[in-house]
Amino acid sequence: MFRKVLIANRGEIALRINRACHELGVSTVAIFSEADRGSLHVRHADEAFCVGAGPVASSYLNIANIISTALICGADAIHPGYGFLAENARFAEIARDHGLTFIGPTPDVISAMGDKATAKRIMQASGVPTTPGSGIIATPDEALAVAEEIGYPVLLKATAGGGGKGMRAVESPAEMASAFATAFAEAEASFKDGRMYVEKLIRSPRHIEVQVLGDHYGDVVHLGERDCSVQKPSHQKLIEEAPAPALDPAVRDRLHEIAVTAARAVKYTNAGTLEFLVDGPNVYFMEMNTRIQVEHPVTEMVYGVDLVKEQIRIASGERLGFTQADLIPHGCAIEVRVNAEDPENNFAPAAGTLGRVEFAGGPGVRVDTHVYAGAVVPPFYDSMLAKIIVTGRTRESAILRMERALSETRIEGVKTTVEFCREILRDEEFQRAGLGVDWLPNYLRRRTPVHA
Amino acid sequence: MIVTKIPDSMFDDTISERVRPLAQAFSEGGLTRLTLRDGDFELELRRAPAASAQPAVDARPAGEPTPARPTDAVLADVVGVVRFLRPPVTEGMGLEGDRELAFVETLGIRNPVRSRGAGRIAAIYVTDGQPVEYGQPLFAIER
Repeated sequence: MFRKVLIANRGEIALRINRACHELGVSTVAIFSEADRGSLHVRHADEAFCVGAGPVASSYLNIANIISTALICGADAIHPGYGFLAENARFAEIARDHGLTFIGPTPDVISAMGDKATAKRIMQASGVPTTPGSGIIATPDEALAVAEEIGYPVLLKATAGGGGKGMRAVESPAEMASAFATAFAEAEASFKDGRMYVEKLIRSPRHIEVQVLGDHYGDVVHLGERDCSVQKPSHQKLIEEAPAPALDPAVRDRLHEIAVTAARAVKYTNAGTLEFLVDGPNVYFMEMNTRIQVEHPVTEMVYGVDLVKEQIRIASGERLGFTQADLIPHGCAIEVRVNAEDPENNFAPAAGTLGRVEFAGGPGVRVDTHVYAGAVVPPFYDSMLAKIIVTGRTRESAILRMERALSETRIEGVKTTVEFCREILRDEEFQRAGLGVDWLPNYLRRRTPVHA
Repeated sequence: MIVTKIPDSMFDDTISERVRPLAQAFSEGGLTRLTLRDGDFELELRRAPAASAQPAVDARPAGEPTPARPTDAVLADVVGVVRFLRPPVTEGMGLEGDRELAFVETLGIRNPVRSRGAGRIAAIYVTDGQPVEYGQPLFAIER
């Protein structure tokens, strides 16, 4: 086991990793930007180093300062969390070259899966079903030719994309030129990589993803699926649950099987997630995320496995402590993302100083957060303040419990998604389950805005 | 003078009891930034920009004049290990112009720390071989 782990992240996930390390008897080094000096992840770590100014390029993406901190502190491993450098193959490589273990898959796998077009090609070759589409296309004309072949509507996607950036739906040839220009510009601005591809747009599929773990001895297991279909118009997830409700058992088994086959095919190590679009009986591989995900707690609650500890154990060279047969899901778990955003204004992010902060407790409620009363929410980072996770024997009981947990939650000083999520939980269609990714955007269109 | 980063756990009387003597020394020493860590307690004193209005803590006895000479802090702009030059600069040393005072070594790369102008070295906050974080004060230069 490692002696000391540097946590190359901030916010709730830095705290989450810190907890896993401490439970394993591993000491921790936090990094922080000047804007995060008062953050809880700094307070709970054994050591903390300021690595730069508030903007991410100066701090949380500053590879030289982060690696330098790890070396100065005598850390033997780096946990990247999610976002920032988590899927940066170069960072994983530099860490390795400095004798530090990167807690994640190998740089080769990160790089192959990080490039969406490459990932799709590899998966196709391993017999994994993918959406019909193109390779890299350079011009709107090429995109038009591909769209003609596979049929409209199509989706223009940046190969380096993520979080809905660099992605546009195209309904007809007339829209292609402007959609291409916007998506390309977004991809250039967000990822410095404007390479695009086209794929068939599947109308309102479900977003279902499968969690996998692989060790360095060739063993791979899955930990079931998560349904992340409740997404904002920006394609960012808002409410996630495990298991996926109202899913045909045959489709569920198929997803699990495909995920394990795919992970084995790329000799996957550590924790990863394969995202699929599910359209009735059809499943299509979308992408693989080579990191721990925001919504990992719902899987942890259903399987009773600490995924972050497993990541650390695997990276330190331990074998998986269980087989597929040992992994039996129990009940249902739901996660709500509490973001500093205004749902009445297109989920515009907010920054500021928090006033009163009260989180829910009681049976079956877990809160992963880094905020507290008086905490400052800097403008530089994502707007997530907390994740509230509840469990229940059934989906119905979990929904009622989440409603109760949200009713106990008070966050003053910034607008949040708490009340909006309560509204969703009470919605009949949400309760009926099996919704597609278009459900929330459509819901927002027909909803009468609530004026506070 | 600006006082930041007082942990919530500290009571007002403890703050004034611990901060006042420090603030006075800070003020008299003509420093611009002072960071102190003692277990849970972390204190940073910074001199407010000239234009700034009310000081948060003012420990100067009434009538005492503000130190005449302005002092700049030279901060680390990378995370690394401080290396002094041979011969090293010393406190009180006059600087005729912009010159290298030391360097911070980061992953084998030498990042020069410069005085950014003439003056006199009023304080040296670090020792040779000391690891430093981003923004850590290294030298105070009296202009």
